[in-house]
Amino acid sequence: MNNFETVAKVLAEYKEIDPSEIKMETTFEELGFDSLDIVEIIMNLEEAFDLELEMHESLVDVKSLISYIESLQAKA
Amino acid sequence: MKTPLCELLGIEAPILQGGMAWVADADLAAAVSNAGGLGLISAMNADAEWLRTQIRKAKAMTNRPFGVNIMLMSPFADQVAQVVVEEGIKVVTTGAGSPGKYMSAWREAGITVLPVVASVAYAKMAQRSGATAVIAEGCESGGHIGELTTMALVPQVVDAVDLPVIAAGGIGDGRGMAAALMLGAIGVQMGTRFLTAHECNVHPIYKERVLKAKDIDTTATGKRLGHPVRCLKTPFSRKIMKLEADSSVPAAELEAMGVGALRKAVQEGDLEHGTFMSGQIAGMIHKEQSCAEIIREMMDETEQILRGAAKWIK
Repeated sequence: MNNFETVAKVLAEYKEIDPSEIKMETTFEELGFDSLDIVEIIMNLEEAFDLELEMHESLVDVKSLISYIESLQAKA
Repeated sequence: MKTPLCELLGIEAPILQGGMAWVADADLAAAVSNAGGLGLISAMNADAEWLRTQIRKAKAMTNRPFGVNIMLMSPFADQVAQVVVEEGIKVVTTGAGSPGKYMSAWREAGITVLPVVASVAYAKMAQRSGATAVIAEGCESGGHIGELTTMALVPQVVDAVDLPVIAAGGIGDGRGMAAALMLGAIGVQMGTRFLTAHECNVHPIYKERVLKAKDIDTTATGKRLGHPVRCLKTPFSRKIMKLEADSSVPAAELEAMGVGALRKAVQEGDLEHGTFMSGQIAGMIHKEQSCAEIIREMMDETEQILRGAAKWIK
């Protein structure tokens, strides 16, 4: 699975929807995620990617999430 | 009565005053600290110089420790995070995010860091980033709130992290504090109870509204925007609720209405345009008191209740 597919899977599992509903442009607002949901998702993503993530206000959609994860992967 | 929080923060009563934006200034913080609790100045959205002035003012008013609440979404968060180090502040509470990026500088400066958390996942993240303890705040509280009540949140956070837990939200008297200790907390944070303190500088109309409030007189606005805020029912909050229910009103319009609304309530007592943030315990507050009276009453009541609790055991 590439990064997008993994993120889509984590988000879709959390929301109990089909991963095909998650697009690169999908925003957390569209998914109805509040800050409490985002913390849960961050924890789930940490497990999926084996990375330590931090909450950040710039994380607002799938695209920003993936670029954040990729920046950490580049450092690792 | 003493709890481990007293030793942790160098205070006599295990009571923190909430870091209420526009409300928690040097006067209130110093009064709470002088009364034996831990007063807090809210850095809210203010810049470094405003905070520095408030800190120095409070230092002139008390020799006891006091803290600063830093709202991590503030445009000045980086600046004020530095000011607390420069001014030798020993306790920082944080809200609206994860304090991870400031943690090493704060810990190096010997600062006790207490993030406010509204869920188990938030608490775990705070633990990992190096927090000293967490403040688990239930949605009975005023201002920005989460989903869980204090009764449900505190024991779940206590079970999930290896850190001391301070309970907040819905605690207005000794009964609430005793209950919080029974849930596993080592102390409490109170905001609303201090709104009507003599030393609290909110507008007289704000105090009057809190004093007159009944149990059902708070509501949570902003749910549609994803950041609910508990406040008193007023002409303004009723209008917001109505617009929120109308899906033709864009979210941006609702956001714009909220800008500056807390300041209008606190400084001008403006019922038509102000957000009077308050917790659900407003209905329990019937008189203005000094911070010293509030803290003494809290401690006396809590001790009495805890002593009496053994009566149930036969």
